[in-house]
Amino acid sequence: MYASRNLSKCTKDCLCLFVCPTGATNTETGQIDSSRCLDGCRLCVDACPSKAIFLVMDEYPEPAPKDAASASKMMDLCSSRFAQEKAAAAIAASSDEPGLKKLTEALRQSLRITAEDCAREAGFMLPQSEPVRALMEELESS
Amino acid sequence: MRVMEQNIHESLPVIFSNLQKASEKQQNYDSAEHFGKLSEKYYQDAVSGDLRTIKDMIVTDISSMADIQSLAGENGDRGILRALRWGGKVAAIQKSLIDRYLSKGEALTEGKEIFLCEACGFIFLGNAVPGLCPVCKAPSSRFTKVGK
Repeated sequence: MYASRNLSKCTKDCLCLFVCPTGATNTETGQIDSSRCLDGCRLCVDACPSKAIFLVMDEYPEPAPKDAASASKMMDLCSSRFAQEKAAAAIAASSDEPGLKKLTEALRQSLRITAEDCAREAGFMLPQSEPVRALMEELESS
Repeated sequence: MRVMEQNIHESLPVIFSNLQKASEKQQNYDSAEHFGKLSEKYYQDAVSGDLRTIKDMIVTDISSMADIQSLAGENGDRGILRALRWGGKVAAIQKSLIDRYLSKGEALTEGKEIFLCEACGFIFLGNAVPGLCPVCKAPSSRFTKVGK
């Protein structure tokens, strides 16, 4: 686990510079140098008065398994939302009317976000999880 | 090898764009790029689209959400219940915007901007970014402006 800084929350009080034993928090880009960051040290995380620093994990636990029937229904919903996204994209690409173009572009993006949420709740949330590994293996073997 | 379910196969670009975002949050940028490429690889354009057809599909989705909700409730899957709560509200807003465009036409968006909540898909038609997403309570920093 190494530290990372949310630059939009950082108030530049620089407490992280005082506590870091390796100088990893003091960089010209404002981002923490992960190659110098000590695994799991978290001194800067606790010292930060703005809660702008957090730890990024190296390993993630396997998520709770999903009920197969619910997961399948969420995937049906996902593919329906995605079909609508593609229809909205087709309208946005072919329309000359600015209002319709903007509305269908918004719908396209909104539908992708809602479709992604369905895929997440169908079990494809975490890249390091078993359902994703199984999916990748299946795609590679086909 | 088991045959991939049709709904998974059809949704591969969505599954992969979601994993791309997850990898970005984990700051695994190589992995994010890999998933991004896979998302594009499996994407196929629709030939055409029609607003009324989209609207009908949204209505169907809203009723199937009610069925999934009772199943998820029985299983105690609060993650799915959360997705349906947000997704149901967003779907109702998507439908309402289509209805309003179908009745008002181009006047609907005149002099207005469209803002999108990147967390839940909420669409806001107005003049300034909402302070808080009314659907998922994400802060204004999670909103992006659509188009120019």
